[in-house]
Amino acid sequence: MRYIAQKLGLFVLTLWAAITLNFFLPRLMPGSPADAAIAKLSQNGPVTEATRAAIEAQLGVPTGSMWDQYLSYLHQVVTLDFGVSYTFYPQTVSSMVSTALPYTIGLVGVVTILAFVIGTLIGVAAAWKRGTWLDSLPTLTGSFLSTFPYFWTALLLLFFLGYVLHWFPTSGAYAATTTPGLTPAFVGDVVQHAVLPALTILITSLGGWIIGMRNTMINTLGDDYVTFAEANGLRGRTVAIRYAARNAILPNLTGFGLALGGVVGGSILVEQVFAYPGIGYLLFNAVIGQDYPLMQALFLMITVSVLIANFLVDILYGVLDPRTRR
Amino acid sequence: MRFHVSHTHTHHRWKALAFACLTAVALAVSGCSIQITSQPDPSIGEDTMLINADKGNPLFDRNFNPYMTNTRTASRWIYEPLILINPLDGTETPWLSDSWEQPDATTIVMHMRDGVTWSDGTTFTAKDVAFTLQLIEDYPELDIYGAWQHLDSVSVDGDSVTMTLKSEDSPALAIIGKTMIVPEHLWADVEDPATYRNEDPVGTGPFVLGNYNDQQYSMDKNPSYWQADKVEIEHLLLPSTNNQLDTVTRGYDWSYSFISDVSGTWGAASPHNKWWFPNAGVIGLIPNNEVAPFDNVDVRRGIALALDRQSIADVASEGYMKPAGQTGLILPNQEKWLDPRIPNDGIVEQDTDAALEAFARAGYTQKDGKLVGEDGQQFTFSLTSANGYSDWTRAAQAVQRQLADIGIDVELNMPQPAGYQQAISNGDFEVALGGMGNGDVYQAFNSLMSSDFYVPVGESTSNNFERFRSDEADRLLREFRSTVDEDRQRDIVNELQQLVYDELPVIGMYYGGSWGLYSDAKFTGWPSEEDPYMIPQNYDSAPLLTFTKLKRVTEDQK
Repeated sequence: MRYIAQKLGLFVLTLWAAITLNFFLPRLMPGSPADAAIAKLSQNGPVTEATRAAIEAQLGVPTGSMWDQYLSYLHQVVTLDFGVSYTFYPQTVSSMVSTALPYTIGLVGVVTILAFVIGTLIGVAAAWKRGTWLDSLPTLTGSFLSTFPYFWTALLLLFFLGYVLHWFPTSGAYAATTTPGLTPAFVGDVVQHAVLPALTILITSLGGWIIGMRNTMINTLGDDYVTFAEANGLRGRTVAIRYAARNAILPNLTGFGLALGGVVGGSILVEQVFAYPGIGYLLFNAVIGQDYPLMQALFLMITVSVLIANFLVDILYGVLDPRTRR
Repeated sequence: MRFHVSHTHTHHRWKALAFACLTAVALAVSGCSIQITSQPDPSIGEDTMLINADKGNPLFDRNFNPYMTNTRTASRWIYEPLILINPLDGTETPWLSDSWEQPDATTIVMHMRDGVTWSDGTTFTAKDVAFTLQLIEDYPELDIYGAWQHLDSVSVDGDSVTMTLKSEDSPALAIIGKTMIVPEHLWADVEDPATYRNEDPVGTGPFVLGNYNDQQYSMDKNPSYWQADKVEIEHLLLPSTNNQLDTVTRGYDWSYSFISDVSGTWGAASPHNKWWFPNAGVIGLIPNNEVAPFDNVDVRRGIALALDRQSIADVASEGYMKPAGQTGLILPNQEKWLDPRIPNDGIVEQDTDAALEAFARAGYTQKDGKLVGEDGQQFTFSLTSANGYSDWTRAAQAVQRQLADIGIDVELNMPQPAGYQQAISNGDFEVALGGMGNGDVYQAFNSLMSSDFYVPVGESTSNNFERFRSDEADRLLREFRSTVDEDRQRDIVNELQQLVYDELPVIGMYYGGSWGLYSDAKFTGWPSEEDPYMIPQNYDSAPLLTFTKLKRVTEDQK
């Protein structure tokens, strides 16, 4: 119990620090939201004084001292009401986030879980059959593919599978002609649109899980208790899963917790390449447009979920590995 | 031992695998030369224009309030302006107002067109105009063109609207004329027009909103449009489009973007694909006139003479754009205003000797290949540009190289666009790269040189970023405002050009383009170099004129 209380205290402290940083960091960027909007407009032609005034009035550019802004920000955090977005004026931050979140969780969340499960299982198999093709093939392919930059893989897949072979749609989360709703047609369409971005994330993240699992498990395989289990004549699968893998999975589990926490941040580059209407896409535009309300809401959501995921992993660690409880 | 053996095995496999992967990468890289072709969706009819004009983020927000910065592009084809202005050369086409007079420089009388109806059947009247002007006075956030910086009062008499200006201000016509008119009978009841999304727009324009979803919307021809006989396009289709591969492959009839190697991409995708990139602005150097030594005209002249504009233009715009002159005008669009006494259309040729002479007058001499000042230090300055504007970046690098050749050390400073905007607004730069020029000749010189926009370094301005002050310029601009006589205006513009040419408040380098991409597969009659009736951009009000000029390609023309 004291273990949990300690972790909880640390959690609250980190949360406050993160919330405060989240307020100050965007404001350290050069330029104001109005500057960003005008920079965008002035690419199309000169912007007059009047237009600048109109934009500032439309955006409701922040007024008051930093301290006042901080207090009203804390109030927003507590009430979870982040007001109106600057870049996407007059849409509210909460409506934008709630539209984007399901797509990101659906895409990045599902793929992260898939990558973890598949990668870890392959890692177990590779370690158990170390030295055979079952080891070298996935390990090498995995490490090779995971060195690819995300966006490059995304562009290659987009170009070949999308534009050259026409196997998959090239952008968006569903076709322009389908009406969103819980119909089989819409769901099928969403799945089809998710294939390329999902494949990108899977290809580039699988290797890490495989190698992580394989390497730790090869270490545990050398331990006495594994030899003892083998000597006792237990079945190979039992030794691999119950003895070796269970002990080897801890580092991977930490990584998984972090990855899950990061899911709500979306995948900026992948979402950008595929014009996928998720959180990553929003975040990119929020940063470019110096959209403080939207940035604050998104960063807060990301930090909080990473913190919660960490907290849960800490607790889970305690369950899996009694030594950490001491 | 077992580990060791497996290790060598792995080693062999490593090699085989690495080889296979390298082959795959080589294939992938060579794949980049695969020709992408335009593949229009066959279900899109011959009478429908597929238009790449609205980006979405990546989804659309249903917002057809034409006065918002985040409005859907097509809202400005639903609501029409009083006067349609060609941003290329300032040509004024009568639109909702079919004629106007300027009895003196403080009064504008506009007559409204007969037979115009709102798309719900209500008649359009001069009262709608008065209502709209009142609306943007009451809600300054909607006054995006700044009409009320010029207007004093508005009165209606029958089909005429009389506008009294704050001062002698003849060029205000072009600004007030851009006002898009909204219907009084529907907007009078809107609670807060500044946040109003206007989801079901009713306008006077050639199209009405058809099907809408958050990734694509369509527009249908308005059968009761006041020039319906000139519009041959039955439908517009606007999908949310976000990358250039989409631009090339989806079979767009009209698109707008700078595409690298346009003939090898857009042009090669279909024999019908054409483009027109008219000069739409001037890209140049903005020396901060408040910061030494750029307050010295000889330093500015030295820099101007040291640059090879042709090579900067070629590098920056892949050869699509031409060098620009030192007159403040955009040629050939504003040719009729060009002062014939200025040599070479105002283009300053590279002349290293003359540059060194100018620098010498300012106290800089060449020593061991370095240009050093009276204090013995090398002439060094930072050039501010915006990160991510790739043509500007290439131009800045070319300037850096060329100035290095005569011994100046230029350091590039490239913040994000918002940071760049802040830096030039606040005067927090030595020399910046920037865009200038305006199709409206008065506005071009006014925003370039008027001391109305002058603020000291540290305060924010939206024009005259170089912080130039000249009584002569102010006097000429005031005189221009006070006359409605074009011959007199021409004399004034000649003097203004002379001023820019002699004083070099900014240093023009090359023209910025308007990047019109179009296909003549379904529609012909696009604006072109031979017939530059409108800028080829497909946003704002400009397309309204283009829509009335396009003709459908008939079967026998194919």
